[in-house]
Amino acid sequence: MKHVAPHRWADAEAGRVDAAARAAMDRHADGCSRCARARDRIKQASASFAAIKSHPAPELPWDAVRARIHWSVSTERRERLALEERAPARRWIGTLALATAAAGALVIALVTDGVRPAQLAGAPRTTAPAEQPQTPVMPPAPAEPTALAGLVNRTTGDVMIDGIRPDDLFARRLVAGSVIATGDGRVDIQFADASAFALGPRSMIELRRFDADAIELVVEGTVDIEVAPRAPHQRFLVLAGDRTIEVRGTQFRVRQEAGNTTVACRHGLVAVRDAKGQVDVGAARRVELAAAHTVTIDRVRPLSVDEVNDLAAATPLTLPVFDRMARSQANGWFGALLEGSAPLEIATASRREVRINGVELGSAPMRVRVMPGRHMVEAADAAGRFRRVGWVDVATPRTGSTSQGSRLEIPAEPRPTRGVQERRRQLLTGHDKARVALCMRSIAKSGLTGTYVVVEIAVDGAGAIGFLNVLDTDLPSTTASCVRDVLVDVRFGSGAPASWRERLDL
Amino acid sequence: MLDRVKRETGSSTTLGVADEADLIERCRAHERSAQDELYHRFRRQVAANLYRVMGDRGDLDDLVQEVFVIAFRGLEQFRGDARLSTWIYRICVNVALGRIRTRKRRPTAIGVADLDAADADPSLTDRPETPHQSLERRRDQATVYRALELLSPKKRIVLYLHEIEGLDLKEIAYLVDSNPVTVRTRLFYARREFYKILAITPPISTGDADTEDDA
Repeated sequence: MKHVAPHRWADAEAGRVDAAARAAMDRHADGCSRCARARDRIKQASASFAAIKSHPAPELPWDAVRARIHWSVSTERRERLALEERAPARRWIGTLALATAAAGALVIALVTDGVRPAQLAGAPRTTAPAEQPQTPVMPPAPAEPTALAGLVNRTTGDVMIDGIRPDDLFARRLVAGSVIATGDGRVDIQFADASAFALGPRSMIELRRFDADAIELVVEGTVDIEVAPRAPHQRFLVLAGDRTIEVRGTQFRVRQEAGNTTVACRHGLVAVRDAKGQVDVGAARRVELAAAHTVTIDRVRPLSVDEVNDLAAATPLTLPVFDRMARSQANGWFGALLEGSAPLEIATASRREVRINGVELGSAPMRVRVMPGRHMVEAADAAGRFRRVGWVDVATPRTGSTSQGSRLEIPAEPRPTRGVQERRRQLLTGHDKARVALCMRSIAKSGLTGTYVVVEIAVDGAGAIGFLNVLDTDLPSTTASCVRDVLVDVRFGSGAPASWRERLDL
Repeated sequence: MLDRVKRETGSSTTLGVADEADLIERCRAHERSAQDELYHRFRRQVAANLYRVMGDRGDLDDLVQEVFVIAFRGLEQFRGDARLSTWIYRICVNVALGRIRTRKRRPTAIGVADLDAADADPSLTDRPETPHQSLERRRDQATVYRALELLSPKKRIVLYLHEIEGLDLKEIAYLVDSNPVTVRTRLFYARREFYKILAITPPISTGDADTEDDA
């Protein structure tokens, strides 16, 4: 008999082979070590199928997952609604253009044929009315453009508006003429559905003009701006010293310090100009101009990945405003947002990175505008790992009023235990550096430096490693795996149990 | 269809047809409480399915999130030709397939844990497992997943659904959005390949199977 095909053993285990065939297969296996080995291995593996099939669900951070799902779904829905809102207008414009073109073609055809439209339609001839004396018509007075207003969405540190520290910062209407200044923190101000700016530390901005026709911001310091597509006639200018930055619909940063201007564009397009020239700065590019420089194209440089990430992290915070909500409000989106949200104060003893509903919002202490409802707040520990602080309920503001908001105090992070410090010392001194160097040999030969591995490790009281995971690295997988193998071999003595994250710069 | 698919997590996912239709309608109307209810009913089922298909919990929370986002997005197109649990299972299978493909292109830096011994279903055995049995079981499971890793993603999914989940060709065809003939062909080659790998590969040593990822 020929060797038995391995899958036949699986069929036999599942009872899909008749008794005679099974007996023949077994007889062959008794005299064939290769088939006997295959039979045993497949039998053993097949037996574990049932255990795999009935394996229960592992525990996950269910609330965090739920928060991320809601965030994702609601963002998607908001974007879809915005698109749908714009679509009918576009269709209407298209239809109008078509109708105009058709009418034009008809008129041209009639004129060419020398036939009057009224004759063609069989309409009765009418005599032209006697000419009336012309009276001068005054052109209508230009209508005042609609004033815009800004609303504070997030603050950290000290913020002054028009020279004072207002108590009602989150309910304040920021209009043309307002001057906003920051201390060590930053402030995010939303001024339309998806448009906002964030003023960086030790910066000042004046809303010189703030209406539907034009926005002019005078900046000293750093400002990050995100502008949704605007009305075609509206101009958006940022005045930085004697330079002007004109926005087309984009996200960008302007830094103006002691006559030096830097404009970095994350996406979209901005035009930077001075008295002598103009240059367009596109996506992932920046222009850096010292006080004496003129604006020329050769000063435009591409942004590094870190700089792009930095811009992404500094994106001003905007809250969604649903059109239905805005239409129901007397003062549009501003009223809808003001009455449909509330400030949440997150207090901490020291600076802590925080996340609300899975979204990183920066360093607390801070005040941030949120929608009413229950929110999950997480704070980062010293190792940068986010841990849940708790839930906070933000009440729905009553109609016609603004909410006073809620407050959550994040308790101070416990000091690292003696166990962790001791275990860290053991890890750092106890790993075989020669072996690590061997792992890194090919990387070092390529001339790459500044690489790192972040590991998460747990050691029990007896010194045994509970787990050791590589969380982050910029090394290739084989090299990271090699480094991990070296760390696994560290001998920890008995002592306090500890788990922590460690970054190893290699 | 696919009654066998909706095992798992006991009563938490069992909904009457009317209740299910009501829940779907409320979700379609973007009612947040309904979305929460759907999430609470199916989250464990989704996590368990993904966990078993993938064999590890590396990006499990990301995958669970992806499944529910796709489900909420796709509910408007859900025609009701299958039970909700089956439809969600189908999404799980496709999300897992996508992740397996990605993982093939970009292998992870280190191996992650296999199915966890601590989570073993106690109902499987009358007596509690001895440490040796537990080790053996983990080793066998690790061997199975290692062999699965060597198959192409499409073959892997089909083989998993047939050999481990015990689904028939028609059911698998629905889940992978294919036809039964294609599934049969794919399964034919997958079984030969899979059992050949198992037959020639020695079992994983206990050290390899002993990785953990739980903090």
